[in-house]
Amino acid sequence: MGASLLDDVLAETLDPAYAQAARRHAARAAVTEGDEVAPRPERRRRAQVLVALVMVIAGLLVAVTYDQAVTKSEGRDQIRNALVHDIKRASGVSDDLATQLEQLRSKVGATREKLLTASTAGQKALDDLARAEQAAAAEAVTGPGLLVTLANAESSADQDPVGATSGEAAGGRVRDGDLQLVVNALWAAGAEAVSINGQRLGPTSAIRFAGEAVLVDFRPVTNPYEISAIGDPDTLSSRFLAVPEVSALASVAVTFGMRFDFAQEDHLSLPAASTPELRVAHAESPEKSAPASETPGG
Amino acid sequence: MIPIIGLAAGVLLGLFLDPTVPLALQPYLPIAVVAALDAVFGGLRARLDGIFDAKVFVISFVSNVVVAALIVFLGDQLGVGAQLSTAVVVVLGIRIFGNAAAIRRHVFRA
Repeated sequence: MGASLLDDVLAETLDPAYAQAARRHAARAAVTEGDEVAPRPERRRRAQVLVALVMVIAGLLVAVTYDQAVTKSEGRDQIRNALVHDIKRASGVSDDLATQLEQLRSKVGATREKLLTASTAGQKALDDLARAEQAAAAEAVTGPGLLVTLANAESSADQDPVGATSGEAAGGRVRDGDLQLVVNALWAAGAEAVSINGQRLGPTSAIRFAGEAVLVDFRPVTNPYEISAIGDPDTLSSRFLAVPEVSALASVAVTFGMRFDFAQEDHLSLPAASTPELRVAHAESPEKSAPASETPGG
Repeated sequence: MIPIIGLAAGVLLGLFLDPTVPLALQPYLPIAVVAALDAVFGGLRARLDGIFDAKVFVISFVSNVVVAALIVFLGDQLGVGAQLSTAVVVVLGIRIFGNAAAIRRHVFRA
């Protein structure tokens, strides 16, 4: 017996039973000295057949397992292809529906405009609507403004590449809070419209952190983050810099090597925010509110 | 010679007959194959060493396959199936490797 289990495993690669059988044969040969213990021919034949049979089974096992593995991977491929096909078809349908919605919206808008421009009250309502739509980021806008860029710290060459990744993850990474801070400062500075990496921010937009990615309206945006804000560039930049949190963020950015700079732009174009969720509104009327109070718990 | 013909016949039989394996046994096929390979390599080495014994070979083959599958089955029941099959593969792999090296020494004298 070896010193340890591992030694045994490494040293004894041949089944010890073979050696034992050989020893047994030798012992028997020694006992029946002289007349060579040649096994009887029919026994030899039987042993050969048995060995061949075992080999057939071994071959069968190998072939069947190989077959199984191949068909399994084939089936997986088939399922994957089918799923990809389904996804493509579904997203095609959703794209079609989105364009259809867009067409219908513009048609509704045109009809509304045609009907309302006739009267002064209608004209006033239309103006109100335009203001509301602009505030709700429902329309694409262009104009001069401020472009703020935030970017993760680049891992410098003289740092240990292995150690640097953890350090970078801790400090030099732009977080959702930084983007929120910049966006809030821009709103406070009088920005009329704000977008992050081409994602327009509406009144209900959220900037969140999920794992490694920053999500704007549940859609991921990636480093570097370009925040465009429309407004008068001069007042926007001076008021933006006056916000105390911005100077705090600037010093943090310097400490951790993050990129944080801004530029005045003459021409920025921001897309419309993602289509707001449709909600059904009910007119408030006395007859209708009466049955509503009958609902349990109301 | 006969064993090699048997092996080839088994492979061809498996490929052409395409037998279906019960679903419950399918997870144990790969491990059974590794065990079978171990027995076959052991037999081949014993043959080259001049101590081949048909009885030992047949018994070691059958018990190897059954025990390997049984260990993995037991592991599955205990929730450590993946780890136990890794253990079986490591041990049998080392043995196959060692036997292959011994066979190589016999064949190439190096």
